[in-house]
Amino acid sequence: MSVTLQAVLYSLQEEQSRLKTRLQELQQLKRERIDAPRDKIPFPVPEVPVVFQGLTKQSGQAPKSLVSNLKICCPLPGGSALITFDDPKVVERLLQQKEHKVDIEDCRLRVQIQPLELPMVTNIQVSSQPDSHRVLVSGFPTGLRLSEEELLDKLEIFFGKAKNGGGDVETREMLQGTVMLGFANEEVAQHLCQIGQFRVPLGRQQVLLRVSPYVSGEIQEAEIKFQQAPHSVLVTNIPDVLDVQELHDILEIHFQKPTRGGGEVEALAVVPVGQQGLAVFTSESS
Amino acid sequence: MDNNVRQAYEECSPEKDIMRGEQSKGLLHEIMRENSKLDEEIKKLEAELQSNAREFQIKENVPERKLKFTSVERPEDGDHFSNSSCSFQVNSQILYEVQRGQALITFEKEEVAQNVISMGTHVVQMEGTSVKVSAHPVPLSTGVRFQVHVDISKMKINVTGIPDELSEEQTRDKLELSFYKSKNGGGEVESVDYDRKSRSAVITFVVAGVADKILKKKTYPLYMNQKWYNVTVSPFIERRLEKYQVFSAVSKKTVLLTGLDGIRVDEETGEDLLNIHFQRKNNGGGEVEVGPACHLILTQLLVERTAIPRPCIFWAITTTALVF
Repeated sequence: MSVTLQAVLYSLQEEQSRLKTRLQELQQLKRERIDAPRDKIPFPVPEVPVVFQGLTKQSGQAPKSLVSNLKICCPLPGGSALITFDDPKVVERLLQQKEHKVDIEDCRLRVQIQPLELPMVTNIQVSSQPDSHRVLVSGFPTGLRLSEEELLDKLEIFFGKAKNGGGDVETREMLQGTVMLGFANEEVAQHLCQIGQFRVPLGRQQVLLRVSPYVSGEIQEAEIKFQQAPHSVLVTNIPDVLDVQELHDILEIHFQKPTRGGGEVEALAVVPVGQQGLAVFTSESS
Repeated sequence: MDNNVRQAYEECSPEKDIMRGEQSKGLLHEIMRENSKLDEEIKKLEAELQSNAREFQIKENVPERKLKFTSVERPEDGDHFSNSSCSFQVNSQILYEVQRGQALITFEKEEVAQNVISMGTHVVQMEGTSVKVSAHPVPLSTGVRFQVHVDISKMKINVTGIPDELSEEQTRDKLELSFYKSKNGGGEVESVDYDRKSRSAVITFVVAGVADKILKKKTYPLYMNQKWYNVTVSPFIERRLEKYQVFSAVSKKTVLLTGLDGIRVDEETGEDLLNIHFQRKNNGGGEVEVGPACHLILTQLLVERTAIPRPCIFWAITTTALVF
């Protein structure tokens, strides 16, 4: 066999052995994946410092997540008023009657009383997957004296340059402690992840930052249940006969009277005819 | 396959050694084919593994909360409140289950904690015995945090189970005609978005409030092709996540100490002794956190099969370390 052919043969054989090894590696990985718990994330994720809160002697019944900043908003139609009472029993009592008559001097306002139905998410299912167009930049040192806008600008400038391995930045967002950048070209994003680490000028310092794939989340299911606002009622069908302040006072006076089925009023908001309002509810303990 | 190899192969002139050349070429061809098959298998497995890695689910029950009225907002310039909404932040709780014979000690400064860890083993004097303690970072799991936003339209509804008997155009018209009738609870229709394939539609009303009225019942009468049908109505809900972030939690100031299961002192004494030891700069330590800085677990494990409640630690996610 000629020398050239021999060299070619040798080279091909080497390649085959390399390919066989790689195939075995992958087959092994596949076997392991099946056993690995689904909770573990198979790609690098940024580190977030957490602080020790305390010790509890509870068994593994601890809630897996904390919900905070709960905010529920409900539009209010024109010609209505939202009344919030101290005692939920007042609400129960008032709701037993759909129609109420409110006295103003010599005439009567016929109004309706409804509960306010608040949407609540009771169960949430989220699936996450790597977003090939986006990356996560992490490793920011503490005490960095830059505003959010300044930091995002500097990162966009750096990672927008082809010479740094970057490209056109389409989206950018500050997540707590890390920054998400979205590129027009997914190859740019992947390339940056492969490089992994960059020395980026941020103000007066050069900072070593880490770039990893961004995992985005998608809601698969969100179970919604409606809960009646326990302390509030919506008074509707209020005709356009008085100005806001007068109406406010009259309604408050009326609904404070236990003889009218009312009770101590905590808050009262009037939405005049032709206007809109948005009632905001938050959870009692954040 | 390697371009150089292919080039060399193609450049091999058969004239020099025809018989041998043919045989060798045959062999080369064979190997090239095998390699190509291997390559294909590898690419398939890589794609499979990647797609398996893609999905990982989070399923949470949102605990019930007591709601209280906060305020009424007024629309700003032409803003229209057309949705009820619910939004909240979700943060994973990061826990570490402390095993028997382990202790956690929290320092005031990160550098001290890191130093204690990098020193590895420490010999602590405990009432006459030298105890070999190893220091490690606390192994914490990955967590996730995100904001959930759910908007329930007051102006749109979902309609499903629409019979497929008429043309698309006609069906759209029939839908509008049925849904604008106020005697059935309907109202003026702004638009109908009909999808024939799924036999469903989204109806947008001009005025808010019609949707609520219709949704009081689960069905609505649709008149089509001289017949009455009951189509299913449901709320039009938009759900989205914002600021989704997966992260791996690290504790910078707390150190895990192991190797304490054989000690002869009780937990309280042990904690005090550890505190004393690790506060000394000579021992590589430093100031410990105010309050109980050290927690030592020495509870006897029961031999029964019932679930043994283990002390857990709750960590909240804070980003006190990063200031922008």
